[in-house]
Amino acid sequence: MKEWLRNYGWMKMSDSSVVVETRNLTKKFRDVLAVDDLTMKVRKGEIYGFLGPNGAGKSTTIKMIMGLVRPTSGHVLVNGKTTNDHDVEYRRDIGFLPERISFYDNLTPVQTLNFFCELRGADKSIVPSLIKDVGLENAANRKVGTFSKGMVQLVGVAQAMIGDPSIFILDEPTGGLDARWVKVVRDKLKALNEKGSTIMFSSHILSEVQMLCDRVAVIDNGAMVVEDTIENISEHLHIRPRLWIQSSDLKGNLPGWIRNLDGVEDASVKDDTMLITCDPSLKLSVLNAIQEKGLKVQDFKTIDPSLEEAFVKLLRNKEDY
Amino acid sequence: MSLNPKSIYIIAKKEFSDNARSRWIISLILIFLVLTIVSSIMAGSGKIGNMEDTVGALLSIASMLVPVISIMLGYATISGEVESGALSIVLASPIKRLEVLLGKLLGLGSVMCFSILVGFGVSGLIIAVTTGHAQWGSYLLFVLLTMLLGLLYLSLAICFSAILKRRVVSLAAGVMIFFMGMIVGMVFMGAYMATGGSLNDFGGGDTSSFPDWFWVEPFFGPQDGYGTAAMLAFGQTDVLGFEFVLPPWLNIFTITLAQLIWTAVPLALACILFLKRDI
Repeated sequence: MKEWLRNYGWMKMSDSSVVVETRNLTKKFRDVLAVDDLTMKVRKGEIYGFLGPNGAGKSTTIKMIMGLVRPTSGHVLVNGKTTNDHDVEYRRDIGFLPERISFYDNLTPVQTLNFFCELRGADKSIVPSLIKDVGLENAANRKVGTFSKGMVQLVGVAQAMIGDPSIFILDEPTGGLDARWVKVVRDKLKALNEKGSTIMFSSHILSEVQMLCDRVAVIDNGAMVVEDTIENISEHLHIRPRLWIQSSDLKGNLPGWIRNLDGVEDASVKDDTMLITCDPSLKLSVLNAIQEKGLKVQDFKTIDPSLEEAFVKLLRNKEDY
Repeated sequence: MSLNPKSIYIIAKKEFSDNARSRWIISLILIFLVLTIVSSIMAGSGKIGNMEDTVGALLSIASMLVPVISIMLGYATISGEVESGALSIVLASPIKRLEVLLGKLLGLGSVMCFSILVGFGVSGLIIAVTTGHAQWGSYLLFVLLTMLLGLLYLSLAICFSAILKRRVVSLAAGVMIFFMGMIVGMVFMGAYMATGGSLNDFGGGDTSSFPDWFWVEPFFGPQDGYGTAAMLAFGQTDVLGFEFVLPPWLNIFTITLAQLIWTAVPLALACILFLKRDI
C-alpha cells in the first residue's frame, strides 16, 4: 500500500499546502482500537472526502482533530502547527459540524447563533444573514427544541460559518436532511470552496462525495486504506467506464462473441440491457463492432466509474494494497 | 495556562440568562421569600418574628432546600450537554475547557447567590420593617453562609457532572451526596453511642461529657456545618432549650474554612478530570 501511495499521491506535494494533517494518530478506547496509526493530509483549497463504513473511526478522528477526544498517540497539525489543549486559537479558523448535532432546546436559532458568535469573537450582526443562508428565516424566533432533525442540522451549518473560517470540518453534513436541503448544503459547500475554503467532510453518500470531492481518504477499522483522487483510485483498481447498451434482441442472453471483441474486458446482461467494460479508447469501435454483428442498438450511454464501486472493491480487497 | 476572562464571562452569562429566561431565578426568589416569611410567622407565633427566631425556624428546611436546588442546577450542566451533543460545538470553539467549567460555576453560582440575596434580603427587610428591630450583622452572615452552602453543593454537582458520563448517573451521584450530608449526624451519634455514650446525655442537654471528636461532625456534614454556623452567627448555642457548650475550635471561622474546602476540592477534581475527558 505504501509504495502505491508514494507513486500516486500526496507525498510529492510540498507541506506548505497542507492545512490539516494527522500523524500516526491512534485512539484506543479501553480494548477497542478506534483509530489505528492514521496519517493523512488535507490540502489547502480542496474538498476532501473522508469515507469509511460505519464504525470505521471517522467521527473519532474528526473529534481528535477538534480536540474533543484525546489521542492515545500521534499528533494533529492545523496550518502546520501541532495542536494542544493549551492553545485553542487554531479552532477559530475551523468551522465544525459534529455528527450528532444538538443545541440548547430553550434558545431560538438567533439566540443560539448569537451565543456562538460571542464564543468565536465574531460580530453578531451576521446572524440574520446566516439564518437566511440556510433558509431558516421563517423559524428564526422559534425554539430550537421544536425543530426537526434537519432544521437543527441547518442551524449547525450556519453555526459552522461563523467567523468566516478558512477550514471546514464537517461530520456527515447532509445526514438527516431531506433532498431539498441536501442541495442547499451541497451548494453552500461548493460556494465556500470556490471562495477559497478548504473543506473536509465525512459522508456515507458516495455519489455526493464523488460529486464534490477532489480527493478522498477511505478508512476501515480505524486504519487508512487509501488516500487519493477518485480517478487515481479507480484507475488503480481497474475500475473502467462501462458501456451501457439497450437492445431488444438481447432477451437476457449475452451473445458469446461479445467477449471476443477487441478491447472488451467484461460483459454482463440483464433483460434487454448489457454492460460492457472496455478500454475507454475503444468504446466507439466496440459499439460499431456490435452493430456490424447485426445487433440492433436502441440506446447506449457510458457509465463513469463510480466511487461506490471503488469503495466496495477497496474494502473487500484491502489486503492487496 | 492562561485563562481568558471574557470566555468565562460568556459561558457564565449564558447560564445566568438561561435561568432567568426559564423563570428559575424568580421562582427561587419567591421560594426563599415565602419560606422565610412563613418561618418568621411560625417563630413569632402568628406574627412576624425577629430575625434570630426566624433563622432558627428556617435553618432545618433551608439546609435541605439549598443543596437540593444547587444539585438540580448543576447535575446535568456538563454530562447532560455531552449526552445531547451540545457541548461538542462549544468545546470546538476557541475556548478552553477550564474556562467552560469556571463559566458554568460562575453563572450557576450567580443564579444561586442572586436568588438567595434577593429572596432572603427582601424578607429581611420585611422583618426589620414589621418588627422595628433588626440584627443585620448576624442576618447578613446567615445570608452569606447560605450562599456558601449553595456554592458548595453546586461545586459538588458540577464535579459529578464533569466526571460522569451520563446525565442520570450524575443525578444519582447528586442524590447520594445529598443523603450523605443528611446522615453524617446519625453516623456520629451512632459512633457516640457505640463508644459508651447514651442518648440521655443528648436529650438532657448535658453536653459536657461529649468527647471532642463528636464536635468534628459539622466539618464533615456540610448541611450541619451550615446550621451550626448560622446559629453561631446569632450567638445562639441553645437548641430546643438546651445549652450546648461547644469546644472553642468549633466556630464560624473554622466551619467556613471547612465549607470552603468542601467547595474547592470537588472543583479541583472536576477541573483535572474534565480536562482529560473525551467528549
